[in-house]
Amino acid sequence: MAYEISIFLENKIGHFERITRILKEGEINIRSMSINDTANGWGILNLLVNNPKKAYKVLEEAGVSVALKEVIALEMKDQAGGLNELLLKVAQAKVNFNNANGRIIEATKSAILILDVPNIDESKKKLIDNGIQFIDDNTIYGN
Amino acid sequence: MKKTYWEEELEGFNRESLENLQVERLNKTLGNAMRSPYYKKLFKAKGIKPGTIKSVAQIRDLPFTTKQDLRDNFPYGFLSLPKKEIIRLHSSSGTTGNPTVIFHNRHDINSWANLMARSLFCAGVRDTDVFQNISGYGLFTGGLGFQYGIERLGCLSIPAGAGNSLRQIKLMQDYGTTVAHAIPSYLGRLYEVFEQQNLDPKKDTLLHTLVIGAEPHTEEQRLRIEEMFGVKAYNSYGLSEMNGPGVAFECTYQNGLHIWEDAFLIEIVNPDTLEPVPDGEYGELVMTTLDREAMPIIRYRTRDITRIIPGECKCGRVHRRIDRIVGRSDDMFIIKGCNVFPMQIEGVLLKIPEVNTNYLINLETINGIDEMVVNVEVNKEWFTGDLRKLDLLAKQITAKIRDEVLAKPIVKLVEPGTIPQPEGKAVRVKDKRNNGLK
Repeated sequence: MAYEISIFLENKIGHFERITRILKEGEINIRSMSINDTANGWGILNLLVNNPKKAYKVLEEAGVSVALKEVIALEMKDQAGGLNELLLKVAQAKVNFNNANGRIIEATKSAILILDVPNIDESKKKLIDNGIQFIDDNTIYGN
Repeated sequence: MKKTYWEEELEGFNRESLENLQVERLNKTLGNAMRSPYYKKLFKAKGIKPGTIKSVAQIRDLPFTTKQDLRDNFPYGFLSLPKKEIIRLHSSSGTTGNPTVIFHNRHDINSWANLMARSLFCAGVRDTDVFQNISGYGLFTGGLGFQYGIERLGCLSIPAGAGNSLRQIKLMQDYGTTVAHAIPSYLGRLYEVFEQQNLDPKKDTLLHTLVIGAEPHTEEQRLRIEEMFGVKAYNSYGLSEMNGPGVAFECTYQNGLHIWEDAFLIEIVNPDTLEPVPDGEYGELVMTTLDREAMPIIRYRTRDITRIIPGECKCGRVHRRIDRIVGRSDDMFIIKGCNVFPMQIEGVLLKIPEVNTNYLINLETINGIDEMVVNVEVNKEWFTGDLRKLDLLAKQITAKIRDEVLAKPIVKLVEPGTIPQPEGKAVRVKDKRNNGLK
């Protein structure tokens, strides 16, 4: 199962840096990230890391508002139309998502798409029913 | 003959006659108070007998009344008359604790309207004026309180209500408004809208007088308002426990607010020792109603800090003047014309598990408007990483605080541990406002 960590972050100088410092000290490698900003001076930082449970623990202990969130990890081709091909299948499965980010596994060959969906169990079932396969943990976390 | 005072006999007479009237009315007030469950019990316990007051100095033998007393005896504990006699109530906001409610019979409403008319007359308003009342109508006293006074005085009244600056300007232009009443922080905003419309209130309206109150402001802010609008701006003081507006008002000399001593017996006391302070020295204003039948209040601690301005006023009124309010002896603050206690905000936050109980209120002027920015920490345990939920949470807190204090806050979610933990008497409120006046 794929997990992201989500962090409540104020839009202030040095706040993101502090998070990365905590992760550095915990020897956590960040694989990919996205930030959702609001107009209200704060946002949510989503990180895909090599060891989500450990990352959660070190951030939690440092007093950060952090959540461990299950997400969906799908494979796509790293070529023109690769994302479109995958999203077409996701759309056919009638799965909507709130946030997404991607990263390359092997250049020109394959890449990962991470989807943060509103209802994880229901979305997973729909994807499985439509024959869409999930990526194994080792590939997701790059271990 | 040209009228100098609204009521020649009650404003222009000598100090001795005024004090005789005060003694007479105080005895009457005690008699009325004796009929309320609260004072009946209290007077009995303390051996206080109505009709025994010989001089105003004897007020000091009577017990104080606090806002907490009013709340503890909500709703009818201070009522001196059968409910059948009551024709109106005004009440504070609040959904958590008991609100402060004041009841009036026909006499009280009549007396209040008269005091309000006297106040406006004293500031130079006449029956030829067109008066736009930019104030919330309803439970808040600034709407109906002014309305009755404006009508009593005989002006053409425009019960405009609060907000909607474009409509306010249109009303002013359509009907040739000459006098308006608003809270000072709103006037900065209103002026901005005038500017946006390429209008100049000095040339494009007939305004000559503004009545400003319900919010403390400095002399500099008054001068700025006068300059922006090309008017005379008069300071109005009142509090809902003493009816509302019409308690004290500036005359055309603009040198302190005449407090209507035939209707209110006033004392200035040291808020710590509760001993009287000499005229000229700052202390807490304590007031006793002298002309209210339905709900007399004895020695009410207003928590407002002011002083008696020594000496006589050039206008010749015998009623003494208080200075503008310089602060509070508790932690209440006023925003958007609403009285807010930090405890009310705390009460709201305590019921929301998604946030910590630690909070900080910043009062700041944002785009010319005074805002209450409530900083609250997101609770670590409740954080799910869902942005929508947090956004919704901020909106819910905003709505709940607004329901509680009537003023809409700006709720800012902050990271846990970023608001300093309170030690002893915490400073929960930082006031960085300039009252909407740059």
